[in-house]
Amino acid sequence: MVRLKSRYLLCEVNVSDRSQLLLLDDRAIMVAVKAAVARTHGDYGAAMCSIRFCVKYLNAHTGIVFLRFPKRCYKLLWSALPFITSIETRGQKIPCFLNCLHVGGTIRTCQKFLIRYNTQQLHRMLPKCKSEEEKQQVRKAILSCSLTESKEAFEEDSESEGEEEEEE
Amino acid sequence: MAVFMDLNVPFLPDRSDLRSVVETAAHLGFSTIALNYVFEPTAKKKQEIPTPTPINELIDQLPMVQGRSRPIRVLNRLTVLMSDASHFRPNAPEYRCFDLLAVQPTSEKLFHAACMVYDIDIICVPMTEKLPFFFKRAPINGAIDRGVVFEVSYSAAIRDSTMRRYTIANAVSLMESCKGKSVILSSAAQKALELRGPYDVTNLALLFGLSDGDAKEAVSSTCRAALLHAETRRTASGIIYTTRSQREAPQGSEDGRFESSHLYRRYRCLCCVAIELQWNKVMMSESNTPSGLYYWIVIYA
Repeated sequence: MVRLKSRYLLCEVNVSDRSQLLLLDDRAIMVAVKAAVARTHGDYGAAMCSIRFCVKYLNAHTGIVFLRFPKRCYKLLWSALPFITSIETRGQKIPCFLNCLHVGGTIRTCQKFLIRYNTQQLHRMLPKCKSEEEKQQVRKAILSCSLTESKEAFEEDSESEGEEEEEE
Repeated sequence: MAVFMDLNVPFLPDRSDLRSVVETAAHLGFSTIALNYVFEPTAKKKQEIPTPTPINELIDQLPMVQGRSRPIRVLNRLTVLMSDASHFRPNAPEYRCFDLLAVQPTSEKLFHAACMVYDIDIICVPMTEKLPFFFKRAPINGAIDRGVVFEVSYSAAIRDSTMRRYTIANAVSLMESCKGKSVILSSAAQKALELRGPYDVTNLALLFGLSDGDAKEAVSSTCRAALLHAETRRTASGIIYTTRSQREAPQGSEDGRFESSHLYRRYRCLCCVAIELQWNKVMMSESNTPSGLYYWIVIYA
């Protein structure tokens, strides 16, 4: 048995105003990526993008997106991603850009990376906390993220990070 | 692994804009950025060369770089837009305040001169218009031998479709001549949202005709080479280099030799240069004067 190989791109949606992130949904990102690929690589790109491309996961709190591309042409499709300048969702145009953090062969490696990355973000956030209570919360969040309780921790971790950022 | 650098971030007069650009760059993982001051001499009236504002006056606290425990390093760079040979004044004292010196030639003759003669670090290739001249192999090889690098900036390509065509066309014709060596990729982003992450830039460079390895070098080690080249330019022909340590004279420190790690880094940079140029000996000495401690690094050619 040979499986169909894919590449998973772990991207971060960067916006100037973080509250706009909550407006995002899978569909909007999919449309934006497809449009960018069609603009940059024409019909060939659009055809490549229609095969096995999908948005696997979206965390609207932290702006993390998983994109799946077929392995044979992921570089071509990836090279169109920097040309995304805005995502249109619910009648609004959100100016943003995608920053690729990691490229993995399986969702699991991406998830491992994401947990590490989110821990790092929490560490960066720690000195910015204003009150002692916030600090305690961030510390607890850092301790709670580990790979053994992967799925739950993963959810918890990203959730709590989203909350922290809103508080700031 | 070398660190990522973005050697062209335009200086914005508005503080908050500049701050957001610097913060975004740090968040994306760039360890060093260079604030770019553009100087465009015109024939009619004499103009002042801009003077760089120290970064600690612009931004109170530099943001930490993503994945590292060190604040972002901000340098100053001057770009001279040349349309006439008299516009570049070698050895102008104003140029010495900048860490990096770049020119953007607009004619073939000036391009040739920039590659072969001028004492500069970076040659900008125009990305917003059709190339006014063809790249010739000879001056480009000369520039590569002298350690001058070519710059391709990508933010024009992000802005609109016509610029994208020009950028890709100009970049590809440059890569054909220089075979992907000594090229740097930089943003020239006017807004924080025009910056792109280092891995995205590396992959974007595939469109410009760079190979994977060359593309990665274009955002990391070639930039470092340009910085080292700039350091040698600022010294007396790269032979003698003096600097004043920021702190007071050391008082019985244990290693004693290198008080600040900054100085030690510079010393190591110079040693690397010396090895590359096959100089025989590098010596470092220090003299203690009332006004502070001076380090002398002497390289015997």
